[in-house]
Amino acid sequence: MNEYILKTNQLSKKYRSNFAIENINVTIKKGDIYGLIGQNGAGKSTMLRLVTGLAFPSSGAIELFGDDNPKQLTESQKRMGAIIESPALFTNMNAYENLEVQRLQKGIPGKDCIKNTLELVGLKDAGKKKVKDFSLGMKQRLGLGLALLSDPEFLILDEPTNGLDPMGIVELRELIKKLNREKGLTVLISSHILSELHQLATHFGIIHKGKLLEELSSKELDEKCKQHLRIKVDDSSKGATVLERYLSTTNFEVMQDGTIKLYNYLDDVRIVSRALTDYGLIIEHLSQNGDSLESYFSKLIGGVDHD
Amino acid sequence: MINLMKTEMYKLIRNKTFWVLIVSFTGLSVLLHCLILTDWWFMSGTEFDEAGLSELNALSPFKTLLFFNLIVSTLAGYYISTEFSQSNVIKNQMMSGNKRTTILMSKYLTFSFGSWIVVIMIPLATALIVVHLLGFGDIFTLATIIYLGRAYSLFILHFLSFTAIVLLIAIVTEDSGKTIIFTLLLSIMMFVIEKFSTLPFINKMYEHTFFYQLNEAFKVSITSGEMIKSILIGIVSLGIVMLCGIFIINRKEIK
Repeated sequence: MNEYILKTNQLSKKYRSNFAIENINVTIKKGDIYGLIGQNGAGKSTMLRLVTGLAFPSSGAIELFGDDNPKQLTESQKRMGAIIESPALFTNMNAYENLEVQRLQKGIPGKDCIKNTLELVGLKDAGKKKVKDFSLGMKQRLGLGLALLSDPEFLILDEPTNGLDPMGIVELRELIKKLNREKGLTVLISSHILSELHQLATHFGIIHKGKLLEELSSKELDEKCKQHLRIKVDDSSKGATVLERYLSTTNFEVMQDGTIKLYNYLDDVRIVSRALTDYGLIIEHLSQNGDSLESYFSKLIGGVDHD
Repeated sequence: MINLMKTEMYKLIRNKTFWVLIVSFTGLSVLLHCLILTDWWFMSGTEFDEAGLSELNALSPFKTLLFFNLIVSTLAGYYISTEFSQSNVIKNQMMSGNKRTTILMSKYLTFSFGSWIVVIMIPLATALIVVHLLGFGDIFTLATIIYLGRAYSLFILHFLSFTAIVLLIAIVTEDSGKTIIFTLLLSIMMFVIEKFSTLPFINKMYEHTFFYQLNEAFKVSITSGEMIKSILIGIVSLGIVMLCGIFIINRKEIK
């Protein structure tokens, strides 16, 4: 069963005459780790602010946990945890006190959750140190702790790796994966560090200039980014036969336009071309293709710029 | 609401400005009362004089709008406004799944409680203690106690409207400095209208505001009609300001 945690329908936010986001339709299912990719100013934070209720949509609807009644959104937000932009912390309080404020305002019974959360985010030894004396990484961890304190079903993280050192980034990634695996936590995470998102997310939404350009699963993305030889010959069915019989491979696809995508022999292009020409085929095109997430993203937004 | 009240109290108790105000105003209040009671300083023509409570003259500055607005606005600036600006912790509260109206109400009640402690409770409590310690306890008769009870009850009612307005200024400006300046400007404007306005219409309007009623609360003789009018002005003002507050908070976008 597909249980949707978040669905947006033609969601738009306009500041004066400019759209910060325009007609965004995002669908996040239970258990997804949804990576929202976009450049700075693409509209990622605006979208997250709308979902968390910090800002109000100009048009469109937000459906959280299957409920799209705007009056019920506040109630649904009780099941969420979020960090938007930077962690919001009381700098004159220590980590424990910050979590206590969050515990009280969320109405969480018992104080055990505070100790557990401090341990979870690696701040159990922070002691009485005030937040104003924390490093950026510690603040980020505490922000994550605030978001996780109520054991949410849906976690929203806006650029959570900002300020984290490489080890901190790895720990955060592992923590999110663990919570997703063990508790079924659904995560919406925005970032412009694409390599980081690539290792974490199960689904991606690519946003550019306020518009959602593409929504795809990590499998689909891998497929699109997969390294391959792109072959165009005068007779594609004969070409496929040559690959099967004489190069003993079935690891290829024949596309609708007759192009063949061959996923092996990447380092042996000469063998492929010789086999094809030896059997009388005329090679019209032969190139090595495939993208990293970065180049795929660049191509995608570059394409829009030219439109 | 109870959870949010607990949260606000937790934050208020840990607010440095609140404690600085408490300590400084306790000291100031004790000093003023001692100076008055030992005749080092002389004040006359106050409502307390008329009520036969000249030993409590040192309370007069604390019930003057031009003086106490500084205390209330400072607390608003460093307790309310900073949540919207420097630390932006208001985000956590807005995302906590609590209704914005409830958040506003809990902030208002706690902020008013904090202001009440500094502006009303501390001066009054120190007055009672110093007066008793210096041997003037006999000034408290049934009549003077009734006067103080009535005057402070009305004063608190109108004070609650004032704290509601300052809370709104703090939320709208999102800056401690601006909160203090705008509150001071408002107080100066009311002072100018009260003292210098010659336009009957403006004067009539002003008399129907809680600003005017803050002073009227301490009148020695007050008719039942005047008291009912004062109570009505207090309740209506508070209602209007809070409705404005609810309107604003429900449309406010958090950065």
